[in-house]
Amino acid sequence: MTSPSSPQSPAAPSPPLSTTMLVDDVEVAVGKKENIIQAARKAGVEIPHYCWHPDLSVVASCRMCLVEVGDRRPNGDVVMGPKLVPACQTPTKPDMVVKTQTPKVKQSQSTTLEYLLLNHPLDCSICDQAGECYLQDYTFKFGHAHSRLQEPKIQRIDKHHIGEQIVLFTDRCVMCTRCVRFTREVAGTAELQVINRGSGEEIDVFPGHPCNNKLAGNVVDICPVGALCSKDFLYKKRVWWLKNQESVCTGCSTGCSIHADQSDDHLYRLRPRENPLAQGRFMCDEGRFGFHYVNDPNRLKLPIVRADRTPTDATSPAGKFDDPWPAAIQAVHHAMTRPDRKNIVILSPFMTCEEAYLLASWAKSLPSPAHLALGPVPMTGDDDHYPKGPKGESPSGRSIKFTIRAEKAPNRWGVAAIVQHWEGDLVDWSQTAQQLAAGQFQQAYIVGGASGYLDQLDITWVASLSFLTVQDILPSPLSERADVVLASGSFAEREGAFVNHAGLAQLIKPAIRSPGEARPDGRLLMGLVVRPGLYHAATIRDEMADIMSAFKAWKGNSLEPDGLMLERKILTATVVHVPPISQGGSANKGD
Amino acid sequence: MTDKKRKTIKWAEEPKIGFAEAIYLPAIVEGLKTTLRHAFEPRKTKQYPEEKPDLPLNYRGLHRLNRDDEGRVKCVACYLCQTACPANCITIVAAQPPSDDPHWAGRDKFPASFEIDELRCIYCGMCEEACPVDAIELTSIYDLTGMSRDEMIFDKEKLLSVFDKTVGGDKDPIRTHHGALGPASEIDLRTAQVAPPPPGHGRPG
Amino acid sequence: MSMADLWPLLTAIAIVMMIVPTIGLYMTFVERKVAALVQDRLGPNRVGPLGLFQAIADAIKIMLKEQVTPAQAQKVLFMTAPGIGLVASLMAIAVVPFGPVPTDQPAGVFRFMIAPGVDIGLLFLLAVSSLSAYGIILGGWASNNKYSMYGAIRSCAQFISYEVPLGLSILGIVAYSGTLSIEGIVASQSAGILHWNIWWQPLAAIIFFTSALAETNRLPFDLPECEQELVGGFHTEYSGIKFVLFFLAEYTHVVTVSFLVALLFLGGWHFPGVPSPAVGLTGSAILSMLILVIKVMMVVFFILMLRWTLPRFRFDQLMGLAWKGLIPLAMANLLGVVIVLSLGGSRWIMLPVSIALFVAGGYASALSFERAGRPVPPRPSTHLIKQGVA
Repeated sequence: MTSPSSPQSPAAPSPPLSTTMLVDDVEVAVGKKENIIQAARKAGVEIPHYCWHPDLSVVASCRMCLVEVGDRRPNGDVVMGPKLVPACQTPTKPDMVVKTQTPKVKQSQSTTLEYLLLNHPLDCSICDQAGECYLQDYTFKFGHAHSRLQEPKIQRIDKHHIGEQIVLFTDRCVMCTRCVRFTREVAGTAELQVINRGSGEEIDVFPGHPCNNKLAGNVVDICPVGALCSKDFLYKKRVWWLKNQESVCTGCSTGCSIHADQSDDHLYRLRPRENPLAQGRFMCDEGRFGFHYVNDPNRLKLPIVRADRTPTDATSPAGKFDDPWPAAIQAVHHAMTRPDRKNIVILSPFMTCEEAYLLASWAKSLPSPAHLALGPVPMTGDDDHYPKGPKGESPSGRSIKFTIRAEKAPNRWGVAAIVQHWEGDLVDWSQTAQQLAAGQFQQAYIVGGASGYLDQLDITWVASLSFLTVQDILPSPLSERADVVLASGSFAEREGAFVNHAGLAQLIKPAIRSPGEARPDGRLLMGLVVRPGLYHAATIRDEMADIMSAFKAWKGNSLEPDGLMLERKILTATVVHVPPISQGGSANKGD
Repeated sequence: MTDKKRKTIKWAEEPKIGFAEAIYLPAIVEGLKTTLRHAFEPRKTKQYPEEKPDLPLNYRGLHRLNRDDEGRVKCVACYLCQTACPANCITIVAAQPPSDDPHWAGRDKFPASFEIDELRCIYCGMCEEACPVDAIELTSIYDLTGMSRDEMIFDKEKLLSVFDKTVGGDKDPIRTHHGALGPASEIDLRTAQVAPPPPGHGRPG
Repeated sequence: MSMADLWPLLTAIAIVMMIVPTIGLYMTFVERKVAALVQDRLGPNRVGPLGLFQAIADAIKIMLKEQVTPAQAQKVLFMTAPGIGLVASLMAIAVVPFGPVPTDQPAGVFRFMIAPGVDIGLLFLLAVSSLSAYGIILGGWASNNKYSMYGAIRSCAQFISYEVPLGLSILGIVAYSGTLSIEGIVASQSAGILHWNIWWQPLAAIIFFTSALAETNRLPFDLPECEQELVGGFHTEYSGIKFVLFFLAEYTHVVTVSFLVALLFLGGWHFPGVPSPAVGLTGSAILSMLILVIKVMMVVFFILMLRWTLPRFRFDQLMGLAWKGLIPLAMANLLGVVIVLSLGGSRWIMLPVSIALFVAGGYASALSFERAGRPVPPRPSTHLIKQGVA
């Protein structure tokens, strides 16, 4: 966003070839392909609007953004137009004069709101949107307190059939048609439509064709009122209790920027966070609804140490206040520092770069330096591009608006670069698995980090190991057979950077605390590698930038707010073909 | 020059000590006169267990959860009382009633659990004020006791039973019945018709 | 000494030792009732008829309470301090007659006094009752608690200060009666109501009563246990039966002081129209005893009323009152008595002299306030306010 140009004296006549316009007496530069709403934002003025969305076509149907528009003549006179014009539909031009605070505009806004609220039910008390509702906000700011409606309000039936993940509270709708345009223009699937006319207008789907596309969840976000709600989040929490933290979706290598909304260490929902470098303003349902494993009651809450690989119940610590961690870390240390064993450390594409670096540098400093490998990278089908064509065909080239990647891990690129830094080249997981099966290694340290990630692995090679450490968040067949299981943190608890498919490094920040005694990986690894101090991702990033050329750009960069594009050249050199494994686990399924 | 300033500061002067004050006796006599006068005044003590207090109708005692005309809990689980509560003593879990259950016809949301920790509550009445549907009210039950902490955590059933016990009595709380609070409280949920506003009262939205 | 000589003494001791703590116990009840009286309440009325068993219930309750001893306390002193206080108070009673005690009492009859015929009775009483300060100071120090210590130190200073006017104020009476024995002083007032000491020594009576209040730690002089500043003062750390002992000591003290006021200034067991009692446990003696008891009860009631009438003194006011008010007045009063008596004048001269002294004292006090101003912190001057400094 460009900063508003410094206000000049509005009284002075402008030169004939002006590049500025006036919004409420503030001089702003005229931008390319901007409408008045965007220009007003530069002047610090919020023009209320419902139907306009920057990623959708303009229909100017809600009439909320009407403003007065005029011209500034070369001689300095200002001539205002006789009618109000919709700010969303009116492109800006030099010497345009916009007035948003005149009595005429205010009258228009309040009557428009009164009209929009004619049949709107007064069920804010049960409406999930309450607290983040544009009807509430605009009524408070621009509307007036009374309705002159004498007749009963029109009541409509809620439509639970509208989609698997979405429900339509029909009577709350203000017919802005953002959802309809979204399914037509971004998803391309065009399930939603307007039926009937006039006061009978409703949003609906074709019978038997519910709105179940993989981007359907976005209509809940773009709905400015509480008409479209998420079934997943319905009535779970009032939004004013939620605190959000900036994070990154771990569902695929697109790495959508998200808000992680939590309350009391319970993750309630994920929302896309606008990031022009990553994905724009949307996210897919797989990611949006695939976070529930974070709240899974089966999460590993304690580190487990098994003597002689006999599963013993080591889950309960001796005393109430006994810290179970020193024993677990001691056990790993004791085994991994033996000079007579061949070690392998398998990094996970779900780790952040900092965590992977901590573990890798430690692995290489062992008396018997460990072999580094990248764990399996889950792949599902092909990249899924949107908007779909009329027959469901994928778009190509510049018309792609959103992509769900086949690679279902957020940080393969970052971890691969780290492995390559030490190992020179990167080998397939299949090769690594063969090496393991052939008994080349006696001791292994394998990292998970997401639901179902290690579940589907062929683990016959475990028998050949004399010591296995698993660092994961949920129990898996592999962790059942591990000598030491280190309970770690999910993405919502960790801190660090993910590098997405395009080389964009983005930050994830801890939103909640890990359950029980589980430790987020950064803290866990700081203890394991015996580094002084607390885990501080920015410090480790600086250190990595000094050591690894791939991450040189990180030096002194905070990666805020949208992240940082790493040099693609360096990263692409590290990419090798990674054979897919099927994605397991139920919680990660989005649809 | 500082006259104007000086006026803005008011010094409270201590009373001057003259002869009468310096010999103490008049003041003591004065004081004794007051205390002795009170000694002969009628007693204001209320003999509590035998003599019950006559509480005003806006007394803030134990909570109750009101029922609607069909006996269902009136609360719609909007969490506003929980939000308003300064003592953090209300815990609500909202749920969606089964859509095919005729008992819940016309209701989108109800409290699956509604708990008030009466030991933590400070009886400020803000829950009652926040409630948009007049579902929670403070009754004039003041002598609430219990043998354990668990006993003092009132769940939905207990709070509804308080309603059953107090409703229609001469101490039915009237604070929320005193004029229209908000139109949401006047919606008849069965027919979902909005009652006409009382004269002089507009309806928001 | 034969058994026949001993029984009146043992009886008197038994009566005193049983009655006085009971009176102390019931003083709490009376105090609560008087408080209720002043505050338009009923006071305790649930236990027994008219709540009369309340004191017993309280006693049982407090004796069953946990005995808490602070970890860092001086255990031995902490334990003994309340005892010292109570013993000192009870010992003072020994020379106080609780009924008619003629000066020429024969042996072998019941006497309303433990130790009659003690020539230095008043001296003994002043000496022993001051000992109760010992208990307070020890208790405060042994508690190892700042507030207790402050309370004890205040108590110490207060006792030292008020001992002086207390002693000085009665010297005039002693000089006139020519004896230190209390029954002797009472005998000197036996001639009729106008012979009571209060009429010719009103100033001394006021000074004595005021000082005695301070000695008993009663309001408005209860600085040693000032709740606002010192939690509980010297007995902050005391609980259960040890606390009761302190309490009893204080109330015993109140009773003793009331007896003294009645005996020294209000004519003792004499009352116009009531003949001098016969010796021994006779009807007229009991009547005289009742007269004394009624006088004492009125004084006690007055003390209790004062508690709900007067606010507490500030500590500097308390010390100022003793050193700048009571002591000079008592000295002047004594001087007047001595001059009047040695010149052979009528003791009634002392009435106008007392009033004159009192007025002069008040006038001087008012004048000193006028001249010196009160000891209040200086106010910020106007120019400082203007600069925003103050």
